[in-house]
Amino acid sequence: MNLDIHDKKIPIIKIRDFLIVSIQVDMHDKLAVQLQSQILHEIERTGAKGVLIDISVLEMVDSFIGRMLSGMASMAAIMDAAVVIVGMQPAVAITLVELGLEMPGVDTALDMEKGMEMLEKKLREKES
Amino acid sequence: MENNLDFKNAKERIEHIEDVLSSVAAGDLDKRLQTDIEDDLTGIEEAINILIEDLTYELKQSKKMKEELEDKLNKIQEQQKTIVQQQEDLLELSSPVTKVWDNVLILPVIGTLDSQRTQIMMENLLQKIVETGCTIAILDITGVPTVDTQVANHLLKTVTAARLLGADCIISGISPAIAQTIVHLGIDLSSIKTKATLQDAMLFAMKKNNQLFEGKIHLEHKEQEEDDK
Repeated sequence: MNLDIHDKKIPIIKIRDFLIVSIQVDMHDKLAVQLQSQILHEIERTGAKGVLIDISVLEMVDSFIGRMLSGMASMAAIMDAAVVIVGMQPAVAITLVELGLEMPGVDTALDMEKGMEMLEKKLREKES
Repeated sequence: MENNLDFKNAKERIEHIEDVLSSVAAGDLDKRLQTDIEDDLTGIEEAINILIEDLTYELKQSKKMKEELEDKLNKIQEQQKTIVQQQEDLLELSSPVTKVWDNVLILPVIGTLDSQRTQIMMENLLQKIVETGCTIAILDITGVPTVDTQVANHLLKTVTAARLLGADCIISGISPAIAQTIVHLGIDLSSIKTKATLQDAMLFAMKKNNQLFEGKIHLEHKEQEEDDK
């Protein structure tokens, strides 16, 4: 059996109320679609209130992945989970802006720590 | 019958003239015709000698001019190099991003903005945001005389890119002239936080900082309370 790279899954870790997704391989379209449904299923299964997606090692984000990420944020939002994208690289940000993909409605943070704080703050606001 | 041409002699002399002319043509400008015998050919020989003199002189002149021109060209090329170098230095120097407070970066922009400069500015700012981990960036454009559609667009792009990284961007010091142009051009800056002066922007940044900080304290308190329970 040859295990194709396409069969590999990106691990989703649950900590308290949050899901942590660290993307550490180059994203291709199939993996992106798979990740999207995987995360949504995990939100349903665990009842997580927030999702942190770390893309700090992603050196390239194309329009498809960009759309997928912003789409996932709105999908998770209607499942009552906030999505924060953390650690985007400057080059990636420039590319996305040049592509006109400004990802409105998606929260971003510089690193995992700040993203976590952001989610906690959001949760507090929701509760109060 | 004085100065009568002796045919045999004349033939030799014509051959001599031919010799001299061909060696001059080949580049030897030192050859001259002898004009000690006076007869009908002397005039021609003297004329040829004068011609060779003139030719030598002209060649020397043009050689000198060529050297001078080459010198000048070298000088100009050196100057060109310096100008390019200085332009690069200027671009590097013209977008200093500094950390002025905890969590606050500042980018003062002075002078006219063009696409290349804004591009470098944007890259510098984003790089610095990632390096320092600051979440608030102030873009002060007090020193910018005019803004056109392209530059406004670039500013918008910079702010959006900073947001994608997770930092908030504040633009301060928009002059009346720039405000007028931006509105006349129909550019919508309402999605961007703008402040009148750098001072206001700093105050706003500090307030935001405090909020962040208080949020953390609040969180720690809550955790402590939970621990106490």
